[in-house]
Amino acid sequence: MFLISMLIWATALLGAVMTVWALAWAVQRGEFRNLRQGAASIFDAGEPIGQQTDFFPGAKR
Amino acid sequence: MMSLPEGPNESKLQQISRIRIDDSSRVPVSLWFASSVFWLLMGSVAALISSVKMHNPDFLGNIEWLTFGRIRPVHLDIVFFGWSSMAAVGCLLWLQARLCHVRLPWPLLLSGLAMVWNVGVCVGVMAVLAGHGSSIEYLEFPAYCAPFFAIPALGVLAANVKMYVTKESQHTYVSQWYLLAATVWLPILYVTAMGCTYFGLVQGVSQAITNWWFGHNALGLWVTPIAVATAYYLIPKVTGKPVHSYHLSLLGFWSLAIFYNWAGTHHLTGGPLPAWTITVGVVGSMMMFIPVITVAINHHMTMRGVFHMLKTSPTLRFTVFGSVMYTVASFQGSLEALRSHQEITHFTQYTIGHAHLGLYGFFSMIMFGAMYYIFPRITNNEWSSARLIKVHFWGSSIGVLAYGIGLCWAGWWQGVMMNDPAIPFLDTVAYIRPYLIMRSVSGTGMTIAHIAFAISVWRILSRHHFVMSGPTLFTTTRPAWREFVNEQEKREQAELEAQS
Ligand code: HEM
Ligand code: HEM
Repeated sequence: MFLISMLIWATALLGAVMTVWALAWAVQRGEFRNLRQGAASIFDAGEPIGQQTDFFPGAKR
Repeated sequence: MMSLPEGPNESKLQQISRIRIDDSSRVPVSLWFASSVFWLLMGSVAALISSVKMHNPDFLGNIEWLTFGRIRPVHLDIVFFGWSSMAAVGCLLWLQARLCHVRLPWPLLLSGLAMVWNVGVCVGVMAVLAGHGSSIEYLEFPAYCAPFFAIPALGVLAANVKMYVTKESQHTYVSQWYLLAATVWLPILYVTAMGCTYFGLVQGVSQAITNWWFGHNALGLWVTPIAVATAYYLIPKVTGKPVHSYHLSLLGFWSLAIFYNWAGTHHLTGGPLPAWTITVGVVGSMMMFIPVITVAINHHMTMRGVFHMLKTSPTLRFTVFGSVMYTVASFQGSLEALRSHQEITHFTQYTIGHAHLGLYGFFSMIMFGAMYYIFPRITNNEWSSARLIKVHFWGSSIGVLAYGIGLCWAGWWQGVMMNDPAIPFLDTVAYIRPYLIMRSVSGTGMTIAHIAFAISVWRILSRHHFVMSGPTLFTTTRPAWREFVNEQEKREQAELEAQS
């Protein structure tokens, strides 16, 4: 019973280990290089920085 | 033929590809969203019945299946499984496709899974109303409902991973980390918790720990990351301003992923658990200050200088409100986890106030904002009425503030009174009753807001009010682009045919 009751803690620990592993993997892949560009990655020439993209219907812009 | 807006070739291609990605999620995302809105309405009805029963216990008192012990879990399960989770899945699918720059895979399968999920909620709700609920909070639905959620959760995980591994974007945007983590967590949490509690693997105290490990993480590692991911996309996207500090955003994600998982036992403080297990929960909760502060700084600083846009953008209004409430509910939550705080508030309405500041003020408001952004883009239609949107915003924001702040205030004093042996218990009931009535009033306001929202959603989906151009859609982009998108699609189709 004791072992079974530790199951949840084991799963929690597994989760934490997986997270740390994912972090290490991401670092290795170079995901954290060039962060400034990362923040801008959701913009492009079609929807550039500086352009508001949502308005109330019928509103004058 | 309409003329294409000026601009370099590259930007034209980007625009076309964005529209096609949005198009690809039309059916599945509309289905997950529309179902969630339906459940929001049902959840509001159950909420109002539960709420009135708390100050007028005789209300519908002779109908067995509407007794408080059933209608309250029905409210909770509908808003958690029906509204929150389905809205979250819709958001996740759309957002991941956009961020990966790929079209949503398996649209038919994902639509089917939405229906499976709906059947699960229906069956579960009927079972709880019939008195077959398990009385394990958040896991009230009987065991035979589990496949209806576990299978779609795995399907959504598969779609999410597929988009990520085939992604055409080079960078992994911070939101994508949140989305991936959430979909990995949900099946693990749900299957482990259902397995342990229903097959008798854990009993007594261990069952309670399992219950709250699930309940807590379902909030913290499933719905919370999806809403934070959405805010990290929408606030910069709507304002046209990149996230203030990308470093902080990543620190925020990784610290949440590492610490949140440990905090589940703070729901059981004061219970008959080994003291160390509760200490783990308290420490986990304190560590949560790190991710929460990073998000708070980031969203606030991103908004600096563009607060005026709150006037003109419905999406931004809801999303920024939700982000502020994330900070509020989480700061409150971290303090609430302390033993000295729990001694006062645990058995009171304070917890309910916190729950709604979090799941409604933060999570639901961000989902509303996201739907205001996403629906026009996947249906190629405009919202029918700015007035309905304003009714929705003011009804839900004033409603939840009155609800949350009112009950936290009253709950605190309710706790102080209950801890004083000189005060008869009935006095505490008399003290709290006006606040409970106030909750029914603010709940009515929130329900009116939900009805206004549902009308808007119905209209945009049924094309009751069809406009292809408008401010939300960007007159300069959508309608003018449509022909080019169609042309591009025809060209690709022809190429494919030529190849085969
Ligand atoms: C750092 C962040 C947070 C911490 C440390 C925290 C802490 C807590 C604690 C200690 C309780 C238990 C109260 C009691 O039973 O006496 C609780 C309940 C709850 N929290 Fe939070 N909270 C946090 C953020 C959130 C957020 C963001 C949400 C919404 C998504 C949320 C939703 C809830 C709900 C729904 C409950 C009620 C659970 C139930 O009894 O059914 N919390 N929280
Ligand atoms: C229409 C407005 C709403 C009203 C009037 C309302 C009312 C209530 C009531 C009366 C309870 C039971 C409280 C108790 O047992 O003491 C409750 C619990 C709860 N509601 Fe709502 N609710 C509303 C909307 C929502 C929404 C939209 C969500 C989620 C997105 C939500 C999430 C919850 C949760 C998680 C609980 C369990 C809290 C706990 O045990 O600590 N509610 N609500």
